[in-house]
Amino acid sequence: MLYKKMFRDMKKNLSSFITIFLMIMIGIMAYSGIEAYMDGMKETADKFYKENNLQDMIVYGQNFSDNDLKTIKNIQNVKNVERKLSVTGITDNDKTLLINFIESNDISKFYVVKGKGFEKDAKGVWLDEFYAKENNIKVGDKILVKYEEISLKEEVLGLISVPDHLYDVRDESELYPDRKEFGFAYLSINEIPEDYIKSKVMKEMNIQDKNIFDTYLKDFNYKDYIVYNSIMIDVEDKSKRDIVKNEIEDKLKNALAITNVEDTLSYVTYQGEIDEGKTYVGVFSGLFLFIAMLSVITTMTRVVKNQRTQIGTLKALGFSNGKVLFHYIGYGFWISILASIAGLFLGYYFIGTTFINLEMSFFEIPNGHPEMNISSYIVAILSILIVAIITYITGRSILKENPAETLRNKVPNVKGKSLNITKNKIFSKLSFSTIWNIRDVIRNKIRTFMAIAGVTGCCMLIVCALGMLDSMNYFVKLQFKTLYNFNYKLNISENITKSDLNTLYKKYGNHTSKTLNIEIKDKRGNRKSNNIFVTDADNYVRFVDNKNNLISKPKDNGIFVTYKLAQTEKYKIGDKVTWHIYGDNNYYTSKIIGFNKDPQNQNITMTRKYLENLNINYNPDTIYTNVNLSNIKEIKNVETIQNIKALKDGMEGMLSMMKTMLVLIISIAILLGSIIIYNLGILSYTEKEYQFATLKVLGFKDRQIKKIFIKQNNWVAIISIIIGLPLGFYLTDWLFKTAIEEHYDFAASITLQSYLISAIGTFVISYIVSKILSHKINNIDMVTSLKGNE
Amino acid sequence: MKESLIILKNVKKTYKVGEQEFSALDGVNLKINQGEFVVILGPSGAGKSTLLNLLGGMDKVTSGSIKIGENDIAKYNDKQLTNYRARDVGFIFQFYNIMPTLTVEENVALIKDVTDTNKKVEEVLKSVGLLKHAKKFPSELSGGEQQRVSIARAVMKNPKILLCDEPTGALDSKTGADVLKLLKKQADNDTTVIIVTHNSLIAEVADRIIRIKNGKVESNETNKHPKNIEEVKW
Ligand SMILES: Nc1ncnc2c1ncn2[C@@H]1O[C@H](COP(=O)(O)OP(=O)(O)O)[C@@H](O)[C@H]1O
Ligand SMILES: [Mg+2]
Repeated sequence: MLYKKMFRDMKKNLSSFITIFLMIMIGIMAYSGIEAYMDGMKETADKFYKENNLQDMIVYGQNFSDNDLKTIKNIQNVKNVERKLSVTGITDNDKTLLINFIESNDISKFYVVKGKGFEKDAKGVWLDEFYAKENNIKVGDKILVKYEEISLKEEVLGLISVPDHLYDVRDESELYPDRKEFGFAYLSINEIPEDYIKSKVMKEMNIQDKNIFDTYLKDFNYKDYIVYNSIMIDVEDKSKRDIVKNEIEDKLKNALAITNVEDTLSYVTYQGEIDEGKTYVGVFSGLFLFIAMLSVITTMTRVVKNQRTQIGTLKALGFSNGKVLFHYIGYGFWISILASIAGLFLGYYFIGTTFINLEMSFFEIPNGHPEMNISSYIVAILSILIVAIITYITGRSILKENPAETLRNKVPNVKGKSLNITKNKIFSKLSFSTIWNIRDVIRNKIRTFMAIAGVTGCCMLIVCALGMLDSMNYFVKLQFKTLYNFNYKLNISENITKSDLNTLYKKYGNHTSKTLNIEIKDKRGNRKSNNIFVTDADNYVRFVDNKNNLISKPKDNGIFVTYKLAQTEKYKIGDKVTWHIYGDNNYYTSKIIGFNKDPQNQNITMTRKYLENLNINYNPDTIYTNVNLSNIKEIKNVETIQNIKALKDGMEGMLSMMKTMLVLIISIAILLGSIIIYNLGILSYTEKEYQFATLKVLGFKDRQIKKIFIKQNNWVAIISIIIGLPLGFYLTDWLFKTAIEEHYDFAASITLQSYLISAIGTFVISYIVSKILSHKINNIDMVTSLKGNE
Repeated sequence: MKESLIILKNVKKTYKVGEQEFSALDGVNLKINQGEFVVILGPSGAGKSTLLNLLGGMDKVTSGSIKIGENDIAKYNDKQLTNYRARDVGFIFQFYNIMPTLTVEENVALIKDVTDTNKKVEEVLKSVGLLKHAKKFPSELSGGEQQRVSIARAVMKNPKILLCDEPTGALDSKTGADVLKLLKKQADNDTTVIIVTHNSLIAEVADRIIRIKNGKVESNETNKHPKNIEEVKW
């Protein structure tokens, strides 16, 4: 019979139970969905890396011979090696292609989406699937690939993904890939034309006449002269890569850099996405689940407390405490079980799949799928338990009383002691409604606390959501307005001649820079890779201090390091940094003469003059210019032209996507906050109905009574805002500082406007909910209310 | 002479109100026989409900003993009290206190969840004249009908003692009389019926009239000539 009562009660309180159901469902959906998506990303990549045999290390150099390859292969722990020529080429319609000429395809194997797999003798090109899709290229189409003097018309043999190209950008200053303009392509090494190599060799040997060349070098095999600039290595035991690295350094003098795959851009970016996501989204979904649970708890408490008389009656009828408790626990139990199952299901199929698909349109990786995380089940079970426990505690506090007490009436047990302070003189000056509310708050500490916690949480979420947007906007401004004080960035070809460079200078000015890849050796002898930004760009590239105020570039007697690098390495001004350029074993020691802040790159900065004083040759790799290039697609000896405005627009496009997400978060925060305020409002209303009815009998106007009622909720809102605003800032700051990848240096920067919106928003929502609740006062039926029973 | 079913000895009940103690019952001594129709009279705040709650095991004495048959329920722990309420006591409240989300027959059948009973829901409903409303929810009934549901619920467990706190307080006199008639019928069936009221007219039909004032028994007398309910002018 009690089961019947339970279902009928639920039906009667349908809106409450639907709320509970939805809150638990949404909370668990958010949590488990996001976990599933994060784990899915990891699983998907791990599988792809393993099945398609991602390399463990890469060796970069000018040219690796057959012998070099053999040398590495013979090193202990090396399982397999493969060399390739990777160059940046273009297509006939001015897109940039990262072209790889390969001999075989056992390391970083193709995942063939369409077409056929690699064959050394096949004539044609295997093309980046994303690039192909963006440019509407199909298997069988012919594309033109150009690099230096090579110009190849190739048939597309296959559309592929490759494990070391999940993420590709032309330049690290581009934060997200532009697949329409930039992609990768693979060709067999056999596709390199003999004539091209021959003419290159002739040039080097200074032979003009083909006939002379042919007579002198009768057994010239052009294949011996093909340049390979990197070697991919697959090892047996990843943990022993350092030994392999040292041995290669010893044996291969032409190895410029040896990188573990975990340090490559594609890998780092993908992993960063997972790590960042885990913290960001973890915090959001955690906070969210917390507020959702708070609203469930308050709803449950409200429902049970409203059944006070019925609990008393059941007890009077002889139902044991256990039976009554069991009955009420059942209320939340079945609902939360159903809601949890629905939440887990939707989390996986809705949130997980949606987000994974979103990521998979960004990262080029096949078979993306969500992966259920164990913690999701634990959270679901915990949620069910928490609801049960809360019901238990609420029910028990009522059951602890004698049934006589429970049934006596709803007039709450006023304990004099705790209220004594309110009998103080100071209080006598306050208005009746203030005293009344102070006493009410003191008597209902837990309820007040829950209300403040809930509203604070919501205020925090709003501040944090708006704050993230602000901070990102601030970052865009800092990067693209303050630090980058130019319109175009030209990446100069590597082998440019002096005179060609001068031609460029004449046209676009001589504001240049060079980035040196270096290794820093610390006091204990450990080496870490980093880079030095050598500036000869005047105020085209500017610098800021910790407070984002402009500072001038370093003097010619030392280096700047970024704040974050200084922090992690514990550098102080005056400290010395010892470093060497990759491929050069000369070590230099530089004095730190200042710090600068860089949001995207934690490195060292020096001037051209300082570099030249160290007797290092300065050959720039970048020109900065304000010459209008809006109609120019291609410049001789310039690999890529980057338009700062386009970069900025790209960033802002990403921000607007983020906006949609944040709007969603804010709406949900508002919804949850409203539910909490509503529940606690009803709870306090029910307790006070008797008193309100009395006031009404005494002749108080509804308006006056409403004012008393709303007052308390306003207090709660104000206190919550006071706590929520700074906490919101700290949360945002924390997210930016700890959750973000190592080479970023972001901080929260929240505008006054956002604080105001959050504060006013929170208050208005609370006020509206109180206002709605206070309408109940119009409907108080004095007679029945004062009887004190249902 | 019937044997006393209920014997109260020096029962005291004090409530703590803030720092002060308030004595709601101050040394009550009483004897009530089995099957008697008892009316407790007294002004508001006299301690009538307190007394009834103690008798029903809904509250605990501060001191004194309450013998129900052989047992002193003042010495009972919570579990024993629950059993006592489940088996021996029927309650009827001024505001009925029936479950709003259970139908009339379900409200009555609810008793089967707490104690074994050989009564049939249908028969009990018939006896209070509610059979035709069996499938209705309480909110669809009049006050008198709701009170009859609560009587049916009490009767369903065939209690030793039927405790009624102002059962007619919320009813008009005609319906009140109907309800009293039903209660009287229970007393005729050997159930001890104790009614708290401040309506002294009701006393005229009682076997025993107990007057309480300021937490003390003022008088406790048997009514030599109880009237029939029809004879009383309401
Ligand atoms: N739980 C309680 N706490 C404090 N005082 C109580 C409590 N229950 C009853 N009282 C007081 O005890 C006295 C007797 O109450 P009650 O038995 O309900 O009177 P009535 O005779 O009107 O039924 C009253 O003055 C009442 O205020
Ligand atoms: Mg009373």
